[in-house]
Amino acid sequence: MENYLQNKEVILSVKDLSVRFSLRGKSLHAIRGVSLDVYKGESLAIVGESGSGKSVLTKNFIGLLDKNGTIDKGEILFEGMDLAKFKTEREWAKIRGKKIAMVMQDPMTSLNPLKTIGWQISEALILNRGMNHAQAKAETLNILKDVGISEPERRYKQYPHEFSGGMRQRVVIAIAVACSPEILICDEPTTALDVTIQAQILSLIKDLCRKYGMTTIYITHDLGVVANVADRIAVMYAGDIVEVGTSEEVFFDPKHPYTWALMSSLPQLGEKGHELYSIKGTPPKLFGVIRGDAFAPRNPQALKIDYMVRPPYFEISPTHKARTWLLDPRAPKIDPPECLKRLKELENIESGDMDE
Amino acid sequence: MLEYILKRTAGAIISLFVVITLIFVLLRLMPMEGYFGAEYDKLSEEVRASMLAEKGLDQPIYVQLFNFYKSLFQGDLGKSWIYRPNYPIVKILEKKIPYSLKIGVISMIFSLIVGIPLGAVMARFKGKFADKLGTAFIAIVEALPTAVLMLFLQLFFSSWFNLSLLFDKNNYATWVLPIFSISLLSICSYAMWMRRYMIDNINMDYVKLARAKGVSGSRIMFRHVFKNAFVPMAQFLPGSVLSTIIGSIYIEHLYSIPGTGSLLIDVIQLQDNTMVQALVLIYAAIGIAGMFLGDVLMALIDPRISFVKKGDDR
Ligand SMILES: Nc1ncnc2c1ncn2[C@@H]1O[C@H](COP(=O)(O)OP(=O)(O)O)[C@@H](O)[C@H]1O
Ligand SMILES: [Mg+2]
Repeated sequence: MENYLQNKEVILSVKDLSVRFSLRGKSLHAIRGVSLDVYKGESLAIVGESGSGKSVLTKNFIGLLDKNGTIDKGEILFEGMDLAKFKTEREWAKIRGKKIAMVMQDPMTSLNPLKTIGWQISEALILNRGMNHAQAKAETLNILKDVGISEPERRYKQYPHEFSGGMRQRVVIAIAVACSPEILICDEPTTALDVTIQAQILSLIKDLCRKYGMTTIYITHDLGVVANVADRIAVMYAGDIVEVGTSEEVFFDPKHPYTWALMSSLPQLGEKGHELYSIKGTPPKLFGVIRGDAFAPRNPQALKIDYMVRPPYFEISPTHKARTWLLDPRAPKIDPPECLKRLKELENIESGDMDE
Repeated sequence: MLEYILKRTAGAIISLFVVITLIFVLLRLMPMEGYFGAEYDKLSEEVRASMLAEKGLDQPIYVQLFNFYKSLFQGDLGKSWIYRPNYPIVKILEKKIPYSLKIGVISMIFSLIVGIPLGAVMARFKGKFADKLGTAFIAIVEALPTAVLMLFLQLFFSSWFNLSLLFDKNNYATWVLPIFSISLLSICSYAMWMRRYMIDNINMDYVKLARAKGVSGSRIMFRHVFKNAFVPMAQFLPGSVLSTIIGSIYIEHLYSIPGTGSLLIDVIQLQDNTMVQALVLIYAAIGIAGMFLGDVLMALIDPRISFVKKGDDR
């Protein structure tokens, strides 16, 4: 897919990022040397089991890492600045909300219960776009309409508890897009919602990103929803990106054994009468050093070298690379699981829950 | 909202009714020595009967209760027996209540104005010097026995600032120490709870969202967290109205303030039961009114409380 990169400019570039948490005197290595380019206007999905570091990675982009976490290595380049070097709240004030915004997982608890939703959206406009109250109100009503909330005049004056989960998530999205940020990070925006509402929220985010020309980083542990929203997919495992490529590349030509395992557990690939595939074992502990390929202990076909040396990235195409020794010319030929072939037959991969 | 307040009002009236009845019945169940002194047993049958009849105690208890309520509704609390024999209690209280009320209300307002912001500032600078200083101060005040602390305040402050040891209604300087003493404990408990509730709130998701949308640290504290932390405080305030009152009973005694608190101690010692009954009734009414106001205050701040579910909106 060489033409994917045509006319694409890098908007955010993560270089060899390493993040550690100190937890009861121990050090937890949550992000282990991640490099990732995000292109302007694209929709990038980050997938992986929970605990793989998706949230931690993206929290760095808006300076909201938990207090016990530090960036001990690496850069996050954005508009000529290195966000990894930011120290003060004043520096972040120029980025947060204005340039990079975030939609969080749980809409039930993300809104201030004592303020009207109109107030909460207006606040973002007043603080970030210097509007006065009247301007902010008018703009808020527009945005409410944009996110699909009917009767905005009446809804403006209502409190979060008067909204359902799906409607609250629309409000949270409204707050995020209020400042028309360059990058919108959606951290599992539909996980807490009903399946029927998930699809609506997904298409809303897609429409808004097109309308406002935002770059989206879409985090999910559900590979099924990704197919609908993402131009590109990055697969995370144990604080590392093990494979990245365009949606077609990752779906139809996956290279990393972990990506295979993830896809094999898609419910769409389950056969009647057979138990759905689920990945055996548990992710590695992030305390201490991980040797070799972090996925090796859970991979029945792991090679000897997988236990000893961490694989480098091998390029499959200019947009597709994976960190696995299987791509080394000297490696034995191991084929992806049979069931993945059926993915091509399934034209439409719809939302479904991945096994965690 | 109106419906909610009406419900709470009904609840408050019922509690008041129950409490008054209970006090009345309990005082009637006391041994008769309690009413007429140790000599009662030695008196002749006729004398006893006439003494009982004179005070209306010869009738069955439900009749007495009925008569009590009847006069209560006419604003009559009965007559004192011993404190000022046969003098209407309402007249006695008329002179006493204004002092207690003024001192109580001023102390309440003062503790709120100092305690709540103190807690908020401590939460804002959690772990910093201001927080540590405040925490140490609160720990000392809470750890010392109240009586010792109050005596200490009275003796040392009056000599340091050259204030009179006793209360004089015409000299406002003498109001300062009693009010300060009553407020001190509530200031500490307000500050402590406010700090705790604010810190609880800082870790909530809505604060993360507010930060993510670019709201500054102080603005988050004062526009978002403060009000949320105040909701549980509002619920807790009525209890503290009660403790302010109870504090004032001791303080009025200590400074010889001619209020209802010192009066209560006097009439208990004198075993003037109609007076005890009237005063306990007033304190119970204040307590219940405090709880009622706490509920209403909370409903005013928190839209979820008086919310009636409208299914069609969701
Ligand atoms: N504040 C923290 N202190 C210690 N460990 C943390 C903290 N936040 C996250 N972690 C750890 O970092 C890893 C990645 O977490 P996270 O990014 O939340 O995963 P997810 O991919 O589900 O979003 C997990 O092992 C988690 O336990
Ligand atoms: Mg997460």
